[in-house]
Amino acid sequence: MVVYSFYIFDRHAECIYKRRWLPRPASIPGSKSSRPTSEASAQATSAPALLGQSARTTDDDAKLIFGTVFSLRNMVRKLGGEDDNFVTYKTSQYKLHYYETPTNIKFVMLTDIKSPSMRIALQQIYINLYVEYVVKNPLSPVEHPGGVGVNNELFEESLEQFVTRVLS
Amino acid sequence: MTVFSLIIINKAGGLIYQREFQPGLRKLSTNDYLVLAGTFHGVHAITRTITPKLPYLATTPASNTSTTTSSTPTSATALASPSGTTTPIPNTTSTAATYMYPIPGVAATGLDSLETDKFRLTCFQTLTGTKFLLFTDPHMANVEPVMRKIYEFYADFVMKNPFYQLEMPVRCEAFDRNLNGWLRGRT
Amino acid sequence: MAQPPRHAAMLSLSNSNSNSNSNSNSNLSTASDSRQPAHLATASHSSTGLRVPSNRKTIYDRHLNRSRNAELSRASFAFLFAEMVTYAQRRVTGIQDLERRLNEQGYPLGLRLLDLLFYRTISGSTSSALSSSSSTSASPPNRPLRILPLLHLIHGPLWRLLFNRPADALEHSVSPDTPNEYMITDNDPLVNTYISVPKEMSMLNCAAFVAGIIEGVCDGCGFEAKVTAHNQPTEMWPGRTIFLLRFGESVMEREKVLERAGVK
Repeated sequence: MVVYSFYIFDRHAECIYKRRWLPRPASIPGSKSSRPTSEASAQATSAPALLGQSARTTDDDAKLIFGTVFSLRNMVRKLGGEDDNFVTYKTSQYKLHYYETPTNIKFVMLTDIKSPSMRIALQQIYINLYVEYVVKNPLSPVEHPGGVGVNNELFEESLEQFVTRVLS
Repeated sequence: MTVFSLIIINKAGGLIYQREFQPGLRKLSTNDYLVLAGTFHGVHAITRTITPKLPYLATTPASNTSTTTSSTPTSATALASPSGTTTPIPNTTSTAATYMYPIPGVAATGLDSLETDKFRLTCFQTLTGTKFLLFTDPHMANVEPVMRKIYEFYADFVMKNPFYQLEMPVRCEAFDRNLNGWLRGRT
Repeated sequence: MAQPPRHAAMLSLSNSNSNSNSNSNSNLSTASDSRQPAHLATASHSSTGLRVPSNRKTIYDRHLNRSRNAELSRASFAFLFAEMVTYAQRRVTGIQDLERRLNEQGYPLGLRLLDLLFYRTISGSTSSALSSSSSTSASPPNRPLRILPLLHLIHGPLWRLLFNRPADALEHSVSPDTPNEYMITDNDPLVNTYISVPKEMSMLNCAAFVAGIIEGVCDGCGFEAKVTAHNQPTEMWPGRTIFLLRFGESVMEREKVLERAGVK
C-alpha cells in the first residue's frame, strides 16, 4: 500500500497540516514495492528542488482537496441524511479517504487504489497522534493558523512512523 | 441488491434524468437535484486534477542503484519513459520536473466511486462526456454490469428516439419502462 | 473472397467490348453476378443479358445480406427511421399531418415491395418456404383477387419479409356499419421499438410508416384502401398497434360480384 499525501483541515476550513510522501526513486512501473519515503516537509517549503513544479501546486492542491471533500460531504448529507458520512472515493489513479471528528476537524489521506478502507487508520491518527501530541501539548495554541502547533516534532515523527511502519 | 436511484448528467453539467427505484435516500427538490448535478460535475473535474503527481525519478531498472540523491534524470530518459497515456507535462523551465501518475498507462479519471455509510455512488462517464450516477447499497457487488445495461438502454431508447433532443432532459417512456422492468427482474 | 469480384470485373470488360448494344444489360448482369461464386460466372460466360445459373437460384431469390438469417442491423434501421421521423416532422401542422407524411414515405415502398414479394412467393411456392397460410392449395398463388387472400398475404408473407415474423392478429370489423374495415394487429412493431412518443403527441403512432407500406401493397394489388395505425396498448404489450384497413366502395362492390361468381 502506498500513501501519497495526508492533510488536516480545521474547523475554519484552513489546512493546518499537509504532508506528502514520495515513492522511492526506484519506483518505476513494475517494481511496485516502493515504500513511501518522506521527502516533503510539513509546510512543503523545503521540498527538494526536484519538486519544482509540484511543490508550487501543493498549496493549491490543499485548497482543491478541501473544496472537493467539503462539496462531497454536503452532497452525501443531503442524500443520505445528516448522520451519513462520506468515507472514501476512488478514481482510476488514487483513493481519497476522509474522516471527520465531532469537533469538525477533517483528516484526508490519499493512497493508491488497492488500499483498504483507512477510516480506522485516520481515526487512530486522530486519537493516538493528534490528540496526544497536538491537543494535549501545553505549548500548542488552541487554534492552529498556518499550522502552528501541529508541526511539532513528536507529532511529525510519530505520523512518519505510523505511515511507514503500520500502513505499509 | 438494491439500486436506489439513477442520475444522468449531460456533458455541460446539466441534470437530464433523475429516477428513484427503491426508497433509501432522501428525496430532494428538483432544484436541489439540479444543484447537485452541477456540483458533482465540478467536483468530478477537480478530483481528476488532484491526482497525485509523482516526480519522475526513474532510472532504468538495470542501473537502479541505491542512489537516493535527488539527481535529476536527463530529459532523454524521462521522455523515453513508458509513461503511457498519462501525458506528463514536461516543465519547460526545468529539465527534470516531469511527473507521472501513480499508475502509468492508465488515463486519469475523475471520481468513479464514492462510499458512505449508507450508499455507494458509482459514476460512469461515457466517452462523449455524459455521466451516469448510480446510487446503490454499499454492500452491493457487481455494479459494473448494471451500469453497462443502463448505458445500453440509454443508447437504445434515448439516442434512437426521434423525439429526443440531444443534451435535453430525458423523457422517454420506453427507457423508463425497460429500465424499471430490467431492474425489477434482477432483484 | 477477393478473387470472384475481380473475375467478374474482367468479364464485364470483355462483354462490353464484344456487343456494345447490350451494354447496359451486360453491366447489370455482371453486377449481379459479382455476388456469385466464380464458377457460376464463368459457366455463363458466353450468354448475354440476364443469366440464370444452373441451379436456378438467381440473385433475386436471395436476400442481399448473405448472413445466415438474412438479418439487417436493427440499430442502423433504428437510426435511419429516427431520422425519417425527424425529417417528416419538419414543417408539419399537427399529428395527423405528420402521420400522413410517414404514410406517404411508406406508400411507394409498399408498391415496389409487392413485386419482390410476388416473385418470392411464386418461385418459392414449390418449396413452400414463403407460401402464405392462405395459399396452402397446390396451385401456385395468384395475385389476390378477394380481400381475404390479400389480408393473408399482408399478415403472413409481407410481415415475414419485413419483420421476419407474421403479424399477431387479423380481424374483421364486427360493426355492421363498417363491413369494409379490417384490422391487423402487431403487438410490438419493429419501427416503434425504440420510440417514446412525447405526452403531448400521445395520439401519434410512427407505425403510420408501416401503414403506408400496407396501403402501397393494397393499391398495388388493385385494392383501393386507406390504412391507419392506432395505439392499443395493453399491460403486456405497451406498444401494441392496430393497423386499420378501410377498403373503398369500388373494392366492396367488386367483392360482392366476385363472391357471386364464386371466385376465391
